[in-house]
Amino acid sequence: MTTYIIQRLFIFFPMLLAISFLVYGGLELSPGDAVSHMISPELALSITAEQLEAMREAYGLNKSFLTRYWIWLTSMVQGDMGYSMAGGVAISEIMAKTVPATLELSLVALFFSTIIGCSLGVLSALKRGSATDNSLTVAGMAGVSIPEFFFGLVAILLFAIELQWLPVGGRLLPSYETVWDRIPNIVLPSLVLALMMTAGAMRYARSSMLDVLAREFITTARSKGMPEWRVNLLHGFRVALTPVVVLIGFRLPLLIGGSTIIEQVYQWPGIGNMFIRSVRGSDYPLVMTISLMYVFVVLTASLIIDVLTALIDPRVRLGKE
Amino acid sequence: MDDKDNIALSVRDLKTFFYTNNRCNKAVNGVSFDVEKGKTLCIVGESGCGKSVTAATIMQLLPTLSRIEEGEIKFRKDNKIINIEKLEKNGKEMREIRGSDIAMIFQDPMTALNPVYTVGFQISENLKYHTNLNKKQIREKCISLLSDMGIPLPEKRVDEYPHSYSGGMRQRAMIAMAMACNPKILIADEPTTALDVTIQAQIFELMEKLKKENDTAIILITHDMGVVAELADNVAVMYMGNIVEAGTADDVLRRPTHPYTKALLESVPVLGRGKNQDINPIKGSTPDPYNRPVGCQFAPRCNWQTESCDIMPEITQINDTHQIRCHKYEQFFEKYNEKRNS
Repeated sequence: MTTYIIQRLFIFFPMLLAISFLVYGGLELSPGDAVSHMISPELALSITAEQLEAMREAYGLNKSFLTRYWIWLTSMVQGDMGYSMAGGVAISEIMAKTVPATLELSLVALFFSTIIGCSLGVLSALKRGSATDNSLTVAGMAGVSIPEFFFGLVAILLFAIELQWLPVGGRLLPSYETVWDRIPNIVLPSLVLALMMTAGAMRYARSSMLDVLAREFITTARSKGMPEWRVNLLHGFRVALTPVVVLIGFRLPLLIGGSTIIEQVYQWPGIGNMFIRSVRGSDYPLVMTISLMYVFVVLTASLIIDVLTALIDPRVRLGKE
Repeated sequence: MDDKDNIALSVRDLKTFFYTNNRCNKAVNGVSFDVEKGKTLCIVGESGCGKSVTAATIMQLLPTLSRIEEGEIKFRKDNKIINIEKLEKNGKEMREIRGSDIAMIFQDPMTALNPVYTVGFQISENLKYHTNLNKKQIREKCISLLSDMGIPLPEKRVDEYPHSYSGGMRQRAMIAMAMACNPKILIADEPTTALDVTIQAQIFELMEKLKKENDTAIILITHDMGVVAELADNVAVMYMGNIVEAGTADDVLRRPTHPYTKALLESVPVLGRGKNQDINPIKGSTPDPYNRPVGCQFAPRCNWQTESCDIMPEITQINDTHQIRCHKYEQFFEKYNEKRNS
């Protein structure tokens, strides 16, 4: 098992490095450089070529591509993320504000969607062909195929505007003092986010479970005279879990990256929202930091998936020894 | 059966039907046989003749779209007769019989063991549900079972996963699992089809040994006539959901009387007769189970078909042990008598 994890780590870091290079190179290729975004249109008319050159010199933009990449990489590793070009706020400060907001929203959604999705999926598989299964299948298909912004808007219309039970959006208001004050704000966005994820998890759990229930070792388990719950859960679900874990693992980046769409719809001050703003404003340092962080989380998530699947299925961990 | 102590299981006129797409497949259509303690009953027949369904019916391990229509499965448990067909499919009483009184070995040991649990764990489940042993005793029993099955280093192997076992070892582990609670009946559904011949011999030796030591009755399902000749005490030949001929191994193999049994035996190549020996495959193929012939099911493929074959022949008792379902058996049987007399 330890060898297995070490093997995975050996892949992890080179991958991270390669992708960071791609992110940096990609932004290098985008039209215009940082300086052209820093000067206002009025200024652009009067500014001279020498002045522009001087600005580039001052920001170190005249150095070669590789040198700049190296400087960026080393400061990134040291935790110096630089400053946002919009307002000059330290990026670390922006992160400190947005990451908890996103974490809060996604954790709630991920937690409930996983538990509810898996249970409903297993139930659906065990009662295959019944009315329960059919209605869950229809609901699941609807949940998977209807886009989340639509659900988000419908939920706002219904619960916030018509019924006025819950706030329209936002996370914190100056009048909020305790955690309880904030709960109404998180209900709608997390519910809508969880709804989508539940539908996906349910479809996955159902098909994986059906696949496993048809396998011969289920008959073997039954032939040992064990009760049905043990046959279905210990022998069935344990094996059916692997693909479901992979699916949920790939949702882990949501925890940090946030769902851009849901955060947009509910004006949730998380990373997803911030990412859209930074791209719109060509705030390169912020875009790069968020992208790199996203890459880091995706890679970490797949590392976690690898370890978890190895824990669930012993055949995986012995693959290359 | 009530007056015979030596009979462990008695099946009478059993019918198991499958229902798919509004059609009915009479997979087992009126089968009767007895299984004696400490004896091996071989059920032989082509693929799709209902052998495996018969086995699954006895264990009530049928898929959801099938059910027992008629008949009786009487099982003797501690001098009490239990009608298995009347028990609830996955109910408590049925579960108590499964794995402890009647155990089953499956065809493909590669898929019949759960890949995510250790072999020891899978054997221990049986003991956990049917005995009062504590954890430590269960573990010891698992190890001793594995060592009985001839698995080397059982103390170490018990904690290993099925994927680190070879095919033969997995089947041994399956047998260890099945034999964990000393069942009265062991149903082996083509236990060696997926294994190579040398391993096959070892597995059968093991089963023979267990049969002698524990007085276990074995129902062996196979289509390998060589295996039948080697192991069977009694043989039942099935065709399209019926037993067409049954009797002791001697009756069926030496004096095959049903045209189907004869055809089956003639279609097996014999070692040592060289390349040019005559093998007579049975002409045609098994009929579509949804579109069965009227009367004798074998008639369309039979060389001796007559008009009377349009009516399903009744079971006829030729002698104490030998029974047959054919209108023209007398003709064939007389030949043996002639041969013997001459």
